[in-house]
Amino acid sequence: MVQNLRARRAASTLGRPGAAWAIPGLVFFVVFAVAPMVGIVYLSFTRWDGLVAPEFSGLENWSRFLKDGEVLQSTIVTAVLLIGNIAVQLPISLLLGVWAAGKQRNRAVLSAIFFVPLLLSTAATAIMWRQLLDPNFGVPAQLADILGDNTDLLGSRSGAIACLVAVTSWQFIPFHTLLYQGAARTIPETLYQAASIDGAGRVRQFRHITLPQLRNTIITTTTFMVVGGLTAFDIVLLLTNGGPGTDTAIMPFKMYQTAFRIYDYGYASAIATFLLLLATAASLVLVKVSGYDKMTSTLEGL
Amino acid sequence: MRTRPNYLAGLAAFGWLLIIGVPLYALLNTAVQPRSKYTDGGPLSIPSTVTGQNFVDVVDSGFLHYMWNTILVSAGTVAVVLILGIPLSYAVVRGSGWVTTGVFRLFLLGLAIPSQAVIIPLFYLVNRMGLYDTLWGIILPTAAFALPVSVLVLSGGMRDVSGSLYDAMAMDGASPARVLVSLVIPMSRSSIATTCVFAALQAWNGLLFPLIMTQSSDTRVVTLGLYNFVSEYGANVPALFAAVLLSAVPILIVYLFARQALVQGLMGVGDK
Amino acid sequence: MTISMSRQRVLTTLVVTAALAVTVVGCGSGSSPADSAAGSKQGEVKFWTLQDPTNTVQQTAVDAFNGTGTGKVTMSVIATDGYKDKLRTAMGSSQMPGMFFNWGGGSLNDFVRAGKLVDLDPALASHFLPSALAAGKVDGKLVGIPSRGTQPVFMFYNKKVFTDAGVQPPKTWSDLTNLVQVFKGKGIAPFALAGNATSSWTELMWVEYLVDRLAGPELFNKIQAGDWSQWKDPAVLKTAQMVKELVDQGAFGKSFGSVNYGAGGTSTLLNKGKAAMVLMGSWEYAVQQGENPTFAKDGLGYVPFPSVEGGKGDPGDVVGNPTNYLSVTTVAPLQTATDFLKTTYSDSYVQGLVEKGEVPVTTNAREMLSKAPDPAYAQFQFDLVQKAPSFTQSWDQALGLTLGTPLLTEIQKLFNGQSTPEQFVSAVSELKK
Repeated sequence: MVQNLRARRAASTLGRPGAAWAIPGLVFFVVFAVAPMVGIVYLSFTRWDGLVAPEFSGLENWSRFLKDGEVLQSTIVTAVLLIGNIAVQLPISLLLGVWAAGKQRNRAVLSAIFFVPLLLSTAATAIMWRQLLDPNFGVPAQLADILGDNTDLLGSRSGAIACLVAVTSWQFIPFHTLLYQGAARTIPETLYQAASIDGAGRVRQFRHITLPQLRNTIITTTTFMVVGGLTAFDIVLLLTNGGPGTDTAIMPFKMYQTAFRIYDYGYASAIATFLLLLATAASLVLVKVSGYDKMTSTLEGL
Repeated sequence: MRTRPNYLAGLAAFGWLLIIGVPLYALLNTAVQPRSKYTDGGPLSIPSTVTGQNFVDVVDSGFLHYMWNTILVSAGTVAVVLILGIPLSYAVVRGSGWVTTGVFRLFLLGLAIPSQAVIIPLFYLVNRMGLYDTLWGIILPTAAFALPVSVLVLSGGMRDVSGSLYDAMAMDGASPARVLVSLVIPMSRSSIATTCVFAALQAWNGLLFPLIMTQSSDTRVVTLGLYNFVSEYGANVPALFAAVLLSAVPILIVYLFARQALVQGLMGVGDK
Repeated sequence: MTISMSRQRVLTTLVVTAALAVTVVGCGSGSSPADSAAGSKQGEVKFWTLQDPTNTVQQTAVDAFNGTGTGKVTMSVIATDGYKDKLRTAMGSSQMPGMFFNWGGGSLNDFVRAGKLVDLDPALASHFLPSALAAGKVDGKLVGIPSRGTQPVFMFYNKKVFTDAGVQPPKTWSDLTNLVQVFKGKGIAPFALAGNATSSWTELMWVEYLVDRLAGPELFNKIQAGDWSQWKDPAVLKTAQMVKELVDQGAFGKSFGSVNYGAGGTSTLLNKGKAAMVLMGSWEYAVQQGENPTFAKDGLGYVPFPSVEGGKGDPGDVVGNPTNYLSVTTVAPLQTATDFLKTTYSDSYVQGLVEKGEVPVTTNAREMLSKAPDPAYAQFQFDLVQKAPSFTQSWDQALGLTLGTPLLTEIQKLFNGQSTPEQFVSAVSELKK
């Protein structure tokens, strides 16, 4: 459809939703999520045990945070787990999502089965795996022939980290797969047909059509994984409790432990604020670098 | 059209089926064994005794009432997320100025708010609003925390609707509301379906908000009900696993229906 | 169409202000109890309790009390995993319960300091064993009344494994070290230990007993009273070294770092004969009963923790949970709460507990023990506690979670070899400046 310049300029403001459309959702979100977070930032400048009113303490928590030796160790293990999770979950869910988008009927049935881990609550999954990883009565015991003597999976640092990545991936790959599946379904068949005619094989089609079309989804899922890695810790709490020792005490876990096990809400709020800034910065970088927020469609030009 | 079956993909899919299937088999296997027997063999062996008693115990503990509460909470959460999120995402994608970039960035920040950190101010808030020990006290915070993800997904879907379609409707003098209802919603059916499933899952699996915001068994939800089987000194594992399986059934049904919508919604894409 | 710039700004300001206002108002007045019941003497008492098998006994007592018409008690049962979180959050707000189940000791310190608890009538104390009351007192004032059975820690063993090996349960430490060699030779783990970091309280028990046997209960009492430098006492270092020896000798088996407590973990190791002994609290019996009733009845043996040659502590000393307590907060109608507390030593309540396998710490409990499901086991525990010169509360409860949580982490590091005994001692001494 050809449009002349004048008509285009007129059309660009006609029919667009104004800011009023966003207000209800915005107010709701601010009241229930942003305002409490502002409260947390405020609390990071106080000393509070949850029972009597918070006492203003200035920068005490923050200077302690910067000097705390455990903070560095915690940051490192958070990064290790984050990278491990992304490295495992991204390729697998992408491939699975593309596969599931295919129209064969058996794929639909199998996709439903693959989805089940996500339906189990995180707490239940962690408890289930804690039982399954028992060295005497769990899966490692039955597979002792393969694993040999090395059944103490949660008792070593690398073992615990590997288990955490494995369990988290097991549960959340279905979620990312769902996103890829939805996105892959929207890739027009015409693109593939044109490529076929040009003689491109499956692998080349994947690299040159599928992947670029999924670019926005890759950004989205990576953002979720980054944010998840900086805010979620239920699996750590229930599977390893930050152990052995403090080997898997990721920052979000430390934040929770400081608040609800040590009752030092001021310091915990400082950790939480730090995590918030980190996660937001990371997602902003991801989004800016990829041009995601320019609201351009991957279907432009068709 | 491709007619050669993709063997490599088939093999990989089978491998993944094992990875998913084996623990699930262990889950099911343990849930059907009596408490005194399930440690006899490993989690992967064939049970010598099979019983439905665990499921009976779970239902007896009031599980069906908890499921009903959880269904209400999930439905409420999905409703709130859609009612607030769809117009918001529409404004983000098609609006201009501060709405587009500012709101989008705010929700990126919102993604990063750890719910466990803000639980105490939230608790005070819910208290002050008189919503303590009510289902709305769970629904509203859960919906608020599900909103960022939903906005990301919904705006992603709406963005893929071709600009020229929007312009065409605008040229015809359509108001933004009409564009939303007749164009945007039908074309974004797959992301709406994904959002529904995601929001429902958040509500279904939520533990912290129900734990802190409710108290009586009237308002108890399924995740708290699971803890009936975990005591200070260990878990009644078979019953716990049975409860976990039972709790997954309704949401599996939701997913199966949402998939239908997903497929149907996509049938119209590409028709210009 | 799009809103003009000034109207945008107004909207933004309104939204932000509203949000801030809500937060400030919400946080600021959260700590004062708003309940009108605070002043009255009679009324409804909201009672929070932990989920466990004795809930039925509690509910019966509550129903009976409500039937007398002198007041009303509403009981809420809260899942174990979230109980402490929920309690703590509520105690700082207007949703504070009137009466709640707790572990006494350090867990109550913070509440007392914040002025949330009510001193209880000392007349109630005469109905309970003195050693059990100790952890219900803070700064000399009675703030907790025993409401449950006692849970001493002692050594459980698999009778068949011992008979097959032709040995007796240990009475002294050298007996114990001999047994380690014997069982290792047979490919059986001498002790089951839940070494997973989620269960480090099981490792704590070993440390508690060894310190007590070596230096007597005074050492920990001083620490609890505030003298943190006592951790540098040589007895602590010796304890850590003894622990390391045990671990290095394989006394706990090789994969204990991944083993959990309970069914599918240590309890199963014991009843299947893959481990010979386990150091555990008296609830182990109930766990075994749930998993393998025949074993619990016939195959499970129990003895006190052995004495340690050359140690200053009395071999009759016991560690564990003296009992669990009920405390009353400032929002409860005091008369109703006190009247209800009297039911905790009533014959019917005590009998109910006994029938559930608990060993109550009331003065009238002894006569009822014959009605216990396993009278011999109940008698063993009662005698153990009654004769004990001292009953030290679990350290993490006694110190409160703020110090207890990092202490447990250090103990875990000692057991899994991440800290040497010397590092353990210095790390623990650093926990409180």
